[in-house]
Amino acid sequence: MPSDPDRPSETVTGASAADPAGDEILRLLVDTVEDYAIFVLSPDGHILTWNRGAKRAKGYTSGEIIGKHFSVFYTPEERDAGRPAWLLGQAAEHGRVEDEGWRVRKDGTRFWADVVLTALRGTSGALQGFAKITRDLTERREAQEKEQRMLAEQRAREEAEEAVKLRDRFLSIASHELKTPVATLQLAAENLLRAADAGRLDEARVLTGTHRILKSTRRLTALVDELLDVSILSREQAPLVRTPTDIVAVVEEVVARFADAAGPNRIRVEAPATATVGGDPSRLDQVVTNLVDNALKYSPAEEPVDIHVVDEPGRVSITVADRGIGLDEATRARLFEAFSRGANAAHVPGLGLGLFITHQIVARHGGRIEGLAPPAGTGAVFRVWLPKDVQ
Amino acid sequence: MRRAITRVLVVEDDAILRETLAEVLVDEGHDVRSAAHGHEALEHLDGWEPHVILLDLMMPTMDAYAFRTRQRQLGLAADAQTVVISAARNLEAAAVRLEADGWIAKPFDLEQVVGLVDRLLERAS
Repeated sequence: MPSDPDRPSETVTGASAADPAGDEILRLLVDTVEDYAIFVLSPDGHILTWNRGAKRAKGYTSGEIIGKHFSVFYTPEERDAGRPAWLLGQAAEHGRVEDEGWRVRKDGTRFWADVVLTALRGTSGALQGFAKITRDLTERREAQEKEQRMLAEQRAREEAEEAVKLRDRFLSIASHELKTPVATLQLAAENLLRAADAGRLDEARVLTGTHRILKSTRRLTALVDELLDVSILSREQAPLVRTPTDIVAVVEEVVARFADAAGPNRIRVEAPATATVGGDPSRLDQVVTNLVDNALKYSPAEEPVDIHVVDEPGRVSITVADRGIGLDEATRARLFEAFSRGANAAHVPGLGLGLFITHQIVARHGGRIEGLAPPAGTGAVFRVWLPKDVQ
Repeated sequence: MRRAITRVLVVEDDAILRETLAEVLVDEGHDVRSAAHGHEALEHLDGWEPHVILLDLMMPTMDAYAFRTRQRQLGLAADAQTVVISAARNLEAAAVRLEADGWIAKPFDLEQVVGLVDRLLERAS
């Protein structure tokens, strides 16, 4: 006859009342096990039996504990929250319930327990009580916690090392970049003094020298501004004021500002009459300025820079394309990280923070920025999407 | 004793530094040519042998390392005294790698450059 899988098999219930020797062995087994607290609760949660494992885990002798309610093993908070009764209810309803948590020993100390509570039902199906099997997992939990602590410490250490590396890299780049205009300033000024001492200081020399000094000063100012931008952005408190902003007007303003340096017609703009986004006008100016500045800096002076503004559903895209040294794969992968200037751009002045700052601003507007490599393989293309709403 | 005519090549990508250094060295009586990067420098060395080369480290197109390698391959200006000028932090090590005769960290005093050029010229003569 095929066995019914839903019916308990004969072997499990084999130790029956008809087999007193089997009964005794089962009783001995339960009583002797030391690693598990195994005991029986009445349907309302009073303790009916106690084994050696229970005494070892919880500290009570059978004489002290039998007849008491099992809620004495729970913390006051869990007792107040009604957890013991809730667990009995769950076991009664579902047949069993498993639980992990802090339990209280007789001496008041706590241990981390893994508990299985199983409803015991007679052949009639009536609830006769609960089997409660508890394992002390304190050591395992402590080991796990220690491991997690060590992992967290290791992570913190790695992050700190990474921060130190980044700081060193920053100091190295910043000092190199700041020293160059300082060197030109010093050289230009000393040159003027030497010429004066030698009686060679004519008007042409004064003019050239003064222009050199001014140019170096402007470069220093730009570097310092870049540094300040980073420090302002890294402090989150500078809030964005997002208002409806015509990005086309922003683009035109930036292009007008670059017209002198770039020469006439080098920057070409294709845009609708207006395109409104929700943004901070001064920050968006900075985004466009950085992208145009990069395009001019990384491409030959005779090559055009193209700006496209497209009004899309729900957003506006701004594309800045140049025909310069372009973006190789390695550069694209780290494009928006701080100080991650392309290997092919080591000689270009600046701190390598422009795209990092740009990315931060765009992200805080809820927008997106991408650096694309055009299929032709010449030049770099940057595209920014900005949402139209002001939220 | 200084030679009658001493030739100095300034290789520097920063225009202000390059022009000003050249101006000062011309004032000092040297025959000066200047280049914005290694390639331009190599062009100057074709048929013109400087006594001193002032060499920036990082430059577009061809940096100091590529320039020195090519210079040796072509056997150009083999007797020139080379001085590395840079704001890089590891300048001394770079100078050793480049087998340079001296190095000057940016920013620098003009007297430093003029003095070193004079000393190198004396040593060479």
